[in-house]
Amino acid sequence: MAINYKETIREIRKNLSSDLSKVKNAEDLEQINTKYLGRQGKINLLFKTLPIKENPNIGKDINELKNHCKQKLSSQLTSLLNQSSSAFFDVTVPGIQPPKGSLHLITQAIEEIENIFCQLGFVRRRYPEVETDWYYAEGLNIPKGHPARDDQETFYLSEDIVLTAHTSNGQLREMEKIKKPPIKMINIGKTYRRQADTSHSAMFHQFEGLLIDKNINITHLIGVMDYFAKVYFGHDREIRLRPHHFQFTEPSFEIDISCDLCHGKGIIGKLPCKFCKSGWLELGGSGMVHPNVLKNGGIDPNIYSGFAFGWGVERVLMMKSGLNLPDLRLLYTDDIRFLNQF
Amino acid sequence: MDIKITDKSLRFFLDTQLSPQELAQKISLCGPTFDKINKLENDYIFDIEVITNRIDTASCQGIARDSAAILKQMGIKSSFKNDPYNEKSNYYKNLPKTFSFEFNQDNLSPRFVAVSLENVNIQESPEETKKLLSLCGLRPINNAVDITNELTILYGMPSHIFDLDKLASQKLIVRESKEGEIVITLDNKKNKLQGGDIIIEDAVGRIVDLCGVMGGTIAEVDQYTKNILLIVPTYNSTKIRRTSLYLQNRSLAAQIYEKQPDPELCLPVITKAIKLFNERSSSCVSSRIFDYYPNPPKIKKISINLEWINSIIGIEIPKQTVFSILISLGFLIEDKEKQEISCVVPSWRYFDINIREDLVEEIARVYGYYKLPSCLPNVNLAPEQLNGLFKTESKIKHFLSNQGFNEIYNNSLISEELILKTNLNPSKHLKLKNALSKDLEYLRLSLVPTILQNIKNNQGKSEEPFFLYELSNIYLPNSEKLPQEISSLTIASTTDFAHTKGILEVLLLHLNIKSLIFQPTQTAPEYYQNDYIAEIISDKKNIGYIGQIKPTVLHNIGITSNPTIIELQISSVIDSMMNNYVYKPISEYPGIMEQLTISSNLPLNIIMEKIQLTSKLISKITYINTYNNNHSFKIMFASSTKNLTQTEVNEIKNRIINNFS
Repeated sequence: MAINYKETIREIRKNLSSDLSKVKNAEDLEQINTKYLGRQGKINLLFKTLPIKENPNIGKDINELKNHCKQKLSSQLTSLLNQSSSAFFDVTVPGIQPPKGSLHLITQAIEEIENIFCQLGFVRRRYPEVETDWYYAEGLNIPKGHPARDDQETFYLSEDIVLTAHTSNGQLREMEKIKKPPIKMINIGKTYRRQADTSHSAMFHQFEGLLIDKNINITHLIGVMDYFAKVYFGHDREIRLRPHHFQFTEPSFEIDISCDLCHGKGIIGKLPCKFCKSGWLELGGSGMVHPNVLKNGGIDPNIYSGFAFGWGVERVLMMKSGLNLPDLRLLYTDDIRFLNQF
Repeated sequence: MDIKITDKSLRFFLDTQLSPQELAQKISLCGPTFDKINKLENDYIFDIEVITNRIDTASCQGIARDSAAILKQMGIKSSFKNDPYNEKSNYYKNLPKTFSFEFNQDNLSPRFVAVSLENVNIQESPEETKKLLSLCGLRPINNAVDITNELTILYGMPSHIFDLDKLASQKLIVRESKEGEIVITLDNKKNKLQGGDIIIEDAVGRIVDLCGVMGGTIAEVDQYTKNILLIVPTYNSTKIRRTSLYLQNRSLAAQIYEKQPDPELCLPVITKAIKLFNERSSSCVSSRIFDYYPNPPKIKKISINLEWINSIIGIEIPKQTVFSILISLGFLIEDKEKQEISCVVPSWRYFDINIREDLVEEIARVYGYYKLPSCLPNVNLAPEQLNGLFKTESKIKHFLSNQGFNEIYNNSLISEELILKTNLNPSKHLKLKNALSKDLEYLRLSLVPTILQNIKNNQGKSEEPFFLYELSNIYLPNSEKLPQEISSLTIASTTDFAHTKGILEVLLLHLNIKSLIFQPTQTAPEYYQNDYIAEIISDKKNIGYIGQIKPTVLHNIGITSNPTIIELQISSVIDSMMNNYVYKPISEYPGIMEQLTISSNLPLNIIMEKIQLTSKLISKITYINTYNNNHSFKIMFASSTKNLTQTEVNEIKNRIINNFS
């Protein structure tokens, strides 16, 4: 029996309208989609009954039905999605957090310092933290019995083996490793001193820079120190050099940085700044490598010159504005309530 | 070394219009640092940091000379006046000797100058002197003692006075002390000497002076004193330092003597002292001046090339400026017309100026470091391979911290008590010879003892579970001279074993490690509980341990939870890391996931290995849980060449089950 296509199409349209009128949610809609538009849906089945040589108009009509169906479903879906849920949704519900974790402030500082010097083409090194007297003192122009040795308050493992109180032992080690300048290294490591109070911990960290080449002069030292100070502390900070004395550099300098609080003026309003010494804060020591040290490292001081500096990681970290740590030793606490703040 | 001087006393040697504040600010840039200025009683007190090798500036005259040189280069009018080295001294050759000194060794005193005074009228010092002393932190005593102290402040050369009538002065012996000898010093302290200290013994064998540190009480000057023996000596600096440190007596004199003051100052200072004694106590000289000066230093000359000076400073400093700086500091210049000049070092700089670099420092600082430009050096290194250690350490730290772990920095020095609590052997650790306290005595061999302590310390303060780690060097003694310093990671977590282990597995995946197995072991460190410990093995090599801690160790430390501990040796991890990633094609054919429960009392790694070996079509096995030896897994079956049918999957499943029956 021949199918009355027109009638069937009308029938399907009617059923669709009635089905759609009962839709409550997206699932209902999905069922209707399958019922009419699915692989085994009413419209597909209708297509299948179509004889091969049939009036092309009927095919057109079924296609029209199909489009009608799609359009109805889609508009119904849109209006369904647009209906806002009447249930109260509390967006202020606290999130469920995984544990926060923390990278230690000292690690963060070391990475920052390393990055700054790497930008300038320095390579990072790690040299012994337990060292022989030669690399630690004698070879750095500090002979046995020299007063500079008492000042360092060194821990000894034996007569000849020390826990380094500075990272300068890396200087001779680097010279021996590279043999022929240029040398441009930054040695970051643990250092130990026989003292402990609010501004000292028996263990701390230092970074030691060493640059040696032909024609290296004091203005280069200023350039590198200035670059570090501006990147690490801020572009508005200034540095200055003051005369100082170290056995392994000549000339030697103390590097100061302008105070962040009083902007290098030493006074705030009419009162002296409490944070600094008349506008400046001590960053650390540096100097031109002493010719005896170059010689001890196998480098000819008549051909090469260079500079070195060894600064405290904790010190520069504490001096960074805003941190507000009252006591350097806090950095060595294991209290999670402290660690989690960073 | 820090000194205090007053503005007025500085201006006795320095003419300048600058205010005290301006002076302090300008001099600090190029010379000694003026740390603080305090206004007190119509004067200013400067706290000055004297640079260790510049003992010549530990006095008003020294600061004044340096300041005049500095201000001149700043174009500020100023001058140095009342130069003590211009002081003419009278030797009083016609007077008798009222005392005699003998020196047992020739290395005790480079120069020793003395004179006696008679008719001394002991009374209080003039107000001005008393004020100067108290402003500089010294206590006024009487006019005689105060003169010696005032001269120390002004000239930087200590001197000492004895009551001549209390001394058996016919033979004063300057000698080294013997161990155990006792001297009572003016601070009323009884000093038991270590031997080798410089002392003066009088003719009847009494120790009357602990030289260079503090006088003895025996010949103390008091209100009845009429005759005084005044000495202005210099001493062997090493011996003075040793005595002063040993007796913990850091007197101003000792701090000066240990830094080698200029022997050429002895005569000017004794001359000045004689004058002051005459003015303030109406005393007269009663002896000729005794002057022991066995080896006056030879003239020291240093030659320096003018071009080389510029090459180290980095800018061209005019020849005339170089000369002007050196001359104002007291150097004499020879061969001025040549490129290589020769500089004669003044006596007060004899010990600190030794090489041409020392001269560069003088020229550069007085010229003004602040005038030098800032230049980045153009130095390029040969290419070097990136250091895997730093990169890996950083990767590990960032991974763990992002996974919720707190990084800790512990001291590398630990106590014997902690070592014992964790079942380790103190004698295997490196021990300090001069520890500061029992708490910091041994270098760590393992990061575990401290991380256990960290858990204990956080108990009750923060909510558990704790997730902690430390990455640091441990120090292993070995047959070499220096210990091995090994970068190590320790992780501690008080959540369960499987979750902690999971973090480790993901960490190692993240590091692209070659292979990974966990193998039960009996040879782990002593703090691990037997049967709860596995070696972490990658590429057939041990890279660390994961396990739980012996209940006795937990009890010793006071830990109430049951933490899982992981130890990794960073260099071993790096050795087993793959440098590159290799892409594996992703199958186009979807797999079939099935759940399977196996009954077996074998360890899980063996069970999973057996499952895996059953068929190549098993692409992934995920462990779910265990209940009474029944282990549940999710198994993914997949082929890279076709869609699998359920029949094929069922066949493999049956083979798996048969493997375990």
